[in-house]
Amino acid sequence: MKLFNSLLTRLGSRGAQRVLGWATLSSLAGTAVLALLVVPPDATQGDVQRLMYVHVPAAWLAFMSFGVVFLASIAYLRTGRTQWDRIGVASAEIGVQFCALTLVLGSLWGQPVWGAWWTWDPRLTTTAVLLLIYVGYLALRRVADSPTRRARWSAVVGIVGFVDVPIVHMSVVWWRSLHQEATVLRPGAPTIAGSMLGTLLLAVLAFTLAYTYLMVVRLRVGRVEDRAATTILSTPTRRAQAPSRGAAVLAARRSHHA
Amino acid sequence: MHDWGFVAAGYVLTGVTLLSYRWRLAVRVNRAHRLVSALTGRPRSEPRR
Repeated sequence: MKLFNSLLTRLGSRGAQRVLGWATLSSLAGTAVLALLVVPPDATQGDVQRLMYVHVPAAWLAFMSFGVVFLASIAYLRTGRTQWDRIGVASAEIGVQFCALTLVLGSLWGQPVWGAWWTWDPRLTTTAVLLLIYVGYLALRRVADSPTRRARWSAVVGIVGFVDVPIVHMSVVWWRSLHQEATVLRPGAPTIAGSMLGTLLLAVLAFTLAYTYLMVVRLRVGRVEDRAATTILSTPTRRAQAPSRGAAVLAARRSHHA
Repeated sequence: MHDWGFVAAGYVLTGVTLLSYRWRLAVRVNRAHRLVSALTGRPRSEPRR
């Protein structure tokens, strides 16, 4: 986790951030070309199966994001360092984007294949619960009244909430499900054609780059917003004189969540 | 052809989600920089992105 923290710090330099941004954009574009134009369609589902190359990486990255929240939460409770809280909230925010994307992409895939946008299937339901847990994590940060309490409460939710991740993964094994079973992360060899597996792994790599890039940018946002909040608190005269609407909104926002 | 509509929607939505989140982060960081500049009277220390 210390290595992860140090990697994010190194990538935070302006040059590294720019390189990472372009690498992310080009890898996502390259993966889209491969997935849409090069890889053959699925023998049973046809072209709609091409949604797998965005749906599955989005799901894996949501899991990974919440895994980072879990580890950062443990690190925060052990050390009390604000940096771990910043990493936790940054990863939760990005994980929520990926998790929501997973559900919507799954819905787009489900309609032509299952004939339904949504069904209360175990995999879908546990994923929706996962999304709600981390939306709750972010909402909780807005109601806690002190930065320390906010960080401690959200660290507890970050640890307890992660319990749902293995449940989502195992839901297709434990319960009868419409959703197909794992084809890559399973005991034994992957049950997927080589060209499809290669493209899927490239897509996962591109999404991982996107996650890393967004983490670097989001951590910078956290640092700058913290500096703004500190500045507001240390300039009482100006604040008392005429706080602008933006200043008041940001002050209120920073006092409630990171 | 019908399937391609779902596929196109999925890929466009993925791109829009990632780009719009990046854009919102840029808005937040610029707003915070502007606020610090306004309160301290100093120009922002980092260039606008």
